[in-house]
Amino acid sequence: MENQKFYYDNKIVKLFILATLVWGVVGILVGILAAAQLAFPVFNFGLEYTTFGRVRPLHTNAIIFAFVGNAIFAGVYYSMQKLLKTRMFSDTLSKIHFWGWQTIIVLAAVTLLAGITTSKEYAELEWPIDIMITIIWVIFGWNMIGTLIVRRVQHIYAAIWWYLATFLGVAILHVVNSFELPISLFKSYSIYAGAQDAVVQWWYGHNAVAFFLTTPFLGLMYYYLPKAANRPIYSYKLSIIHFWSLIFLYMWAGPHHLLYQALPEWAQALGVTFSIMLIAPSWGGMINGLLTLRGAWDKVRDSAALKFLVVGVTAYGMSTFEGPMMSLKTVNQITHFTDWTIAHVHIAGMGWNGGLVFGMLYWLVPKLFKSKLFSEKLANIHFWMSTLAILLYAIPLYWAAVTQWLMWQEYTPEGFLAYPNFLETLTQIVPMYMVRVVAGLLFLGGFLIMVFNLAKTMKAGSFINNEASEAPALVLAGKRNAVKETFHRWMERRAVRFSIWTFVALSIGGAVEIIPMIFIKSNVPTLESVTPYTPLELEGRDIYVAEGCYVCHSQMVRPFRWETDRYGEYSKIGEFVYDYPFQWGSRRTGPDLARAGVIGGPMYKNAAWHYNHFMDPQKMNEESIMPNYAWLAVKNVDVTMTPKKIRAMQTLGVPYEEGYDQKAVADLMAQAQTISDDLKASGIELAPEKQMIALIAYLHKLGRDIMSENAAVTEEHGETAEQPTHEITLLNTPEDLEAGKKLYQANCVVCHGPEGKGIPPAFPSLVDDEWIKGNKPADVYHSIAEGNVAKGMIPYKNMLSEKQITQLASYVLITLHEQNQEK
Amino acid sequence: MKIVSDLLTSIEGIQIFYIIGLLIFVVLFIVITIRTMRMPDKEMENIKNSILADGESEEITTSN
Ligand code: HEC
Ligand code: HEC
Repeated sequence: MENQKFYYDNKIVKLFILATLVWGVVGILVGILAAAQLAFPVFNFGLEYTTFGRVRPLHTNAIIFAFVGNAIFAGVYYSMQKLLKTRMFSDTLSKIHFWGWQTIIVLAAVTLLAGITTSKEYAELEWPIDIMITIIWVIFGWNMIGTLIVRRVQHIYAAIWWYLATFLGVAILHVVNSFELPISLFKSYSIYAGAQDAVVQWWYGHNAVAFFLTTPFLGLMYYYLPKAANRPIYSYKLSIIHFWSLIFLYMWAGPHHLLYQALPEWAQALGVTFSIMLIAPSWGGMINGLLTLRGAWDKVRDSAALKFLVVGVTAYGMSTFEGPMMSLKTVNQITHFTDWTIAHVHIAGMGWNGGLVFGMLYWLVPKLFKSKLFSEKLANIHFWMSTLAILLYAIPLYWAAVTQWLMWQEYTPEGFLAYPNFLETLTQIVPMYMVRVVAGLLFLGGFLIMVFNLAKTMKAGSFINNEASEAPALVLAGKRNAVKETFHRWMERRAVRFSIWTFVALSIGGAVEIIPMIFIKSNVPTLESVTPYTPLELEGRDIYVAEGCYVCHSQMVRPFRWETDRYGEYSKIGEFVYDYPFQWGSRRTGPDLARAGVIGGPMYKNAAWHYNHFMDPQKMNEESIMPNYAWLAVKNVDVTMTPKKIRAMQTLGVPYEEGYDQKAVADLMAQAQTISDDLKASGIELAPEKQMIALIAYLHKLGRDIMSENAAVTEEHGETAEQPTHEITLLNTPEDLEAGKKLYQANCVVCHGPEGKGIPPAFPSLVDDEWIKGNKPADVYHSIAEGNVAKGMIPYKNMLSEKQITQLASYVLITLHEQNQEK
Repeated sequence: MKIVSDLLTSIEGIQIFYIIGLLIFVVLFIVITIRTMRMPDKEMENIKNSILADGESEEITTSN
């Protein structure tokens, strides 16, 4: 048979490698910034563009789509050509793919920092960029399938099945999750609402992990691990079974992100079962990888590339065991909303994805540049730095997760929450956040050493853009010969047919999960009392989305006593029917806000409090790590868009009356005026058009529609029913005063200040001679126990015991008073 | 879409999806496993080694 001459396209591989290195540094730097912000809020820089709510999505997108994305493409473009013994199908497609992808990354960075976001995690980009992604992705797939068709080998090797599954999986996910209704170039609403949106989003979110961070990497593993070790993969049969089970099972597991949340039981059960089943195929992959190295561990000792690959595969095994465990409802209770999830994804991200990318680069760059690695020693230093960084990152965060969870649910013997102030549970773990910054710096240090090492290697070597090779042409395979050929072998020889089967396997899971959720009404029972957002609240909600408040705050009270005591009634599925998109959140860095509008509930804060808090959270409470949002008092709401937004909501099925878009702006201004007036009564001047007014209106809407009857206290009559005041004797022992001080600092300083001076006139001084309610011990006891919810004073009788309230009254009237006299 | 919606709404007990899903998987899994196990080992060896023999790797260790 005659040999054909052809050239491998090495240049495109080099470009993707360079992009991997550049975006890797950027992504890690942004990650370190985000970590620093959680440890020291000054790193939010008081600028809207650099607050944590915007920086965190930038970090996740930069790592997943820029760093990991480019690394995948580098690995795929190199290995596909070698495996199929052909040049990529089209140089033009390769180039468009490369430059298109980099453009998307730059646009993503700019828009995310500008607050242009859909708020759907790992799919935050707005619709024009979504369309670009679709086009570039199709180009990638086209190029890939084209290459398969012009190949010079019969058999399509395992690695390539995974690449194909990646292409198809991501395409399906991206399209389904990105259905949105554009309002302008920079704003759109998800077409799904509330619980449905949540199911679609986490089906996407989970499978983005599967088809962007798992399947392409398994493909890379099946090529680069055997190549680097120079031994064939352990079992090819295992790889076939492992492939089909994994791609089939993954698509079903999404709801494990929504356990105990407002989702039908059947969907939760589905998510749990399939997540557990996923252990098997995942471990199939890990075992196949590790056993490839059996009897060759001496090679691992000598090669940094192999070391990274081994750590990568091991981390994969750990994460894919941990993930299913986290899907068990009892475990999920702990891991969800805490830092556990963050630790989990970083073991997977830094260990599995990082390890495989680093291992691949240490092997591939010398190969491409026809030289030896500049320094094996530096590569080993990188290896140890990055392994240490992973441990230093994960262990403190696991610790933080468990600590915070234990504190959230700890009760005093009297039956009250031991830490009613959320912030106490956070302050406890902030030291862990400082360690995390160190871990990030260590990981970055190692990465930079690698960049240096690879740059030196590139310099020393010689690079050929088009590398010559030759291979016999592919003899076209005839009809399936049922006797000689097994079914799978026959199928995989035909790339297109193979793709279709993969597509079918992928679709079944997604369809079974999503279709019933969207089309079956009984899955989303409606609640009579839930009304659509007013125009002002809607604008406020859009600000909430743009600022990324959902990054730190959940809006989902789970049905546990320790959550309902802290926040209020648990969340019901019918509450969210007008939420485009949903805002349930995934990590509670700050307290849950689902009940922020329930007057008389534990979470309600009045407008003056919100104003002061947004202007400077650290003034309200030194230990808070919430960024300040002072510019919200400067920037105006853009009401020109309001009618259009109302019309869009009507299109999506929100029952505003016919022609309401015309009245919306007037309604908006009227409601804004009442909040502005309310603030004025507390001595705060804030014009009604300011964004902060809209945000306050939104926060006050949260949970208000389902406010239970007995908690309902109208704004006019702020006080709960008069209780007969009984006599109180102050407790003046040092122990009681010390206990009073602790309680005061945990619960009261946010409004009354550490010395009791308050923020008059909104929050009264407790140490001057003017008393609204009187300063007899019984009066003060009464003020604390019964509160005045309309004015913003919380009724503490549901949160603290009688003794504790007496201790507080004593602390206020004795200690604080004395301190003040001395001055 | 309306038809689909009505059709699905009428299904008794939505758990059926759960059961269908598991069934499809189990059946497919058994079929794929049996078919795969019956593939000749020799053929598997050839495929496995083919990626190493691309004229570039120095020497190949096939100590399987
Ligand atoms: C870095 C994470 C972070 C971000 C981003 C963030 N917050 Fe917070 N938030 C916190 C923390 C921590 C607290 C608790 C300490 C405190 O009260 O300041 C808090 C407290 C609050 C409270 C008081 C809750 C209560 O009743 O105790 C409200 C309301 C609030 N945040 C709203 C917002 C809004 C609105 C945004 C977006 C504009 C936002 N937060 C962004 C972390 C964050
Ligand atoms: C969210 C803000 C907020 C918090 C937290 C808060 N208060 Fe108040 N407090 C107020 C406001 C507002 C008033 C004024 C109520 C009124 O006008 O009737 C007030 C009034 C009082 C009064 C009556 C003052 C007077 O002049 O009669 C006392 C006493 C008091 N608070 C004690 C406490 C104690 C003790 C705590 C901690 C357990 C606490 N407060 C926590 C906002 C707060």
